[in-house]
Amino acid sequence: MIDRLTAALTASRADYTEIRVEQSWGSVVTMRGRRLESATASEDQGGFVRALNRGSGWGTASFTSLDQLAAMVARADELSRAVRLERPIQLAPVPPQQAEGILDLDGDVRGVPLADKKRLIEAYNGAMLAVSDRIVDTLATYRDEVTEYWYVNSEGTVLHELRPEVTLSGTAVARRDGTIEKGLESIGLRRGWHSVQDKAAGFRATAERAVQLLDAPTVTGGTYPVVLDPELAGVFIHEAFGHLSEADFVYENPQAREMMTLGRRFGKPVLNVGDNGAASGLRGTLPFDDEGTPTQDTALIREGILVGRLHSRETAAAMNERPTGNARAISFRHPPIVRMTNTYIANGRGPFADLIRDLKLGVYACGAFGGQTMLENFSFTAAYGHMIRDGQVAELVKDVVLAGNLFQTLDRIDHIAGDFRWNQMGGGCGKGGQFPLPVTEGAPHVRIEEALIGGDVPSPA
Amino acid sequence: MIEELLELARRRLEPGDGADALERRVERTSVAFEWGRLKAAGVTEEAGVNVRVLHRGRVGVAGTTAVGGDGVAAQHAAPLLDRALASAELGEEIALAFPAPAKLPRVATHGARAADASLARLIEIGSFLLERLAREGCQVNVAIEREVADTRVANTAGAQGSYRTTGVAVSADVWRIAGDDVLAIGDTIESTDLPSEDALAGVVRSITSRLDHALRIVAPSEGALPVVFTPAGLSAVLLPVTQGLSGKAVLQGISPLATRVGEQVFDQRLSLTDDPLVPGRTASRPLDDECVPSRATCLVERGVVQRFIYDLETAARAKSASTGHGQRGIFGKPVPAYTNIIVGDARVPGPGSRVPGELGGGLLKGIKDGLLVDDLIGVGQGNVIGGAFSHPVALAYRIERGEIAGRVKDAAVAGNVYELLKRIAGLGNDARWAGARFTPSLLLEGVSVARR
Repeated sequence: MIDRLTAALTASRADYTEIRVEQSWGSVVTMRGRRLESATASEDQGGFVRALNRGSGWGTASFTSLDQLAAMVARADELSRAVRLERPIQLAPVPPQQAEGILDLDGDVRGVPLADKKRLIEAYNGAMLAVSDRIVDTLATYRDEVTEYWYVNSEGTVLHELRPEVTLSGTAVARRDGTIEKGLESIGLRRGWHSVQDKAAGFRATAERAVQLLDAPTVTGGTYPVVLDPELAGVFIHEAFGHLSEADFVYENPQAREMMTLGRRFGKPVLNVGDNGAASGLRGTLPFDDEGTPTQDTALIREGILVGRLHSRETAAAMNERPTGNARAISFRHPPIVRMTNTYIANGRGPFADLIRDLKLGVYACGAFGGQTMLENFSFTAAYGHMIRDGQVAELVKDVVLAGNLFQTLDRIDHIAGDFRWNQMGGGCGKGGQFPLPVTEGAPHVRIEEALIGGDVPSPA
Repeated sequence: MIEELLELARRRLEPGDGADALERRVERTSVAFEWGRLKAAGVTEEAGVNVRVLHRGRVGVAGTTAVGGDGVAAQHAAPLLDRALASAELGEEIALAFPAPAKLPRVATHGARAADASLARLIEIGSFLLERLAREGCQVNVAIEREVADTRVANTAGAQGSYRTTGVAVSADVWRIAGDDVLAIGDTIESTDLPSEDALAGVVRSITSRLDHALRIVAPSEGALPVVFTPAGLSAVLLPVTQGLSGKAVLQGISPLATRVGEQVFDQRLSLTDDPLVPGRTASRPLDDECVPSRATCLVERGVVQRFIYDLETAARAKSASTGHGQRGIFGKPVPAYTNIIVGDARVPGPGSRVPGELGGGLLKGIKDGLLVDDLIGVGQGNVIGGAFSHPVALAYRIERGEIAGRVKDAAVAGNVYELLKRIAGLGNDARWAGARFTPSLLLEGVSVARR
């Protein structure tokens, strides 16, 4: 394959050409309630060519038929030449890389029969159903994929990798009369079959939570001191801050650039944030990004001050900064764009108890059903929450929606515990029509002095 | 082609078994203008096949993009069928019946102008928008995507159909960042044909008028207020209803509408129809992805729940009939999905997107103090199907004495759609396509608005 790709590169007339080819084998087994919804194995393959010429823009071609490789290289060059630019696109230099990367497959999923995968997810699904007869519906999915990946560019980079991925997810729906509550469990790893054994406890706990939420009151809406658990804190930093640190948002937008000037204070000195694509064994981890740039640990906020951002080669050159290995594509169907990898709030100090000790009334928001940021505003739906009363974690509450303004909220983070953990979840990040990109988030418990919690919604019909 | 695959299946399968398959070939050309300038052009050529078998009463599915240059070459067909049979071995029993051959309705799904449009023509469309949307202190992104897709679907019962779809999607958004105030206003139009100059001018007007009104920032009122949801802003209100009308949710026992067919659940002025035969829409097609001929399905008529949407499998489980809503990708099995949803009195609109009317669709007049919601944050998160929602606004305006007073930034709206839709205080005269939905603005009363 490498020979085929380098031959195609040599034939390209463009000033810069890169080719990515992927071949993947995947399987998905889904249980719904007591039934198997589907068990399928799929094969996907294709390539992506990107060409750039002086004074021109990007030309790209994506295709599923590898017989078309030569024609697609020519097409990408043609398209590039059709896009005339006044200000040329520059690529920040990255030394050519040659690497053969076989990530730890940890029990290659391709050798495991579909029937065994079904038995595994059936057991986890069964663990949710066994919790209570209030569990009226479940959805449990096992998903795996191994991708063989080739990347070459006209600057001499040649990469060949085998990338594994395995995810488990479970939804438990509890119902009593008109009240419906749910719990979500999600595990995602860049590993294989061995790493998803013995996970029933998490699925059971998820279903138990859904049942408990049936009796939990809706949180009273209002402004509170809010403590985020590591999962929600991780989702928060990814959604609310991480996307703004992606340089493609700022590099050609003077006003955005001003808003995100390095050196600007974003938080109190306790706040340290980064993105680490080279962290060991996480879902967002890869040795190189999809431009052949080595991944790295990039500091974004240090002691409250904005110190860095995430780059592709193009955005780095435009801003006179260094590439950070964050140009990623979800598959050969898409071009690489600036994305996060494993984004984190760095560890603080002391136990969780220190965060709530002096709170008379507050909200402890846990887990995430989802989160969305739009511009400087965000909204996160916690999976559940507890009231904090007189320095103690008190009753379970539901419908905890955290909403606010990013800048105000980051600035109100006043205490970070020393209990950091990575949240190894499935799902992924979406941007520019590319979803789901495997990413990981990590954080310790984080306290926000004051934040708006939504609630008080009229009860369902 | 899938004929070879089905022929192979006929030889391998036993009496009482069956199979169906879908092949789709897509060619896409896209042009992107980023932050005010043309930046990239790209093509995509994709092909894939999805096959489903019913073997000994069990269903199995497999998909692949390894289809070779011209259809499923023999060497690809056999392993694909093997994988589908392996999938069926694990499958649950189900009484699935593949539809027999039937006459297909005629529907216009493609336009030669769109299929033949050159790259230069697509760039021209983008430049037209860019020039008209440019303004001091703002940045403009424009994306044009043209797609030609050939779909062929067939089964071992002899039913089959094939059709070509063209689609042109034009989207533009204007960003304005002033200090820490970030504002982005966009619009998208989509059709099987190239957009007319009128339609493009409509995009410019829709963005410009919302931008002009947004420059002034005002504080919202609080409490239970009259709120106008624009066609784009209606998502949070309609999503629980469309989820509840899916046969799949009914089967799972999580739809609040499951037991309410024939009941007056909503205001008389609320009708919902899913129509796969609307001319000029990219979701229109003569038959669904399971060989069921297309027809319009009335889901809610004058507030009364009529029926749910089904694909073959959910219909078989619910002991009902498919409504022709089977949708399948290359990987995975078919699922029930909507095509073109029409809100209101089910007038089938003409092709293309209409020129947008005045913001608020004439509903502002009688409002002393309220809100106009065009975009919310977090729609689709959380427990949607129950009907309760609570979202911060992404783009909303305060209405005072019948006029837009300015943009509201830090506000959240909440309510329960099953309560709110019992009474609709007004339907706007601004019906348009917003994604897959054709809808006017709706005025709902008693929506909870909170400031923060």
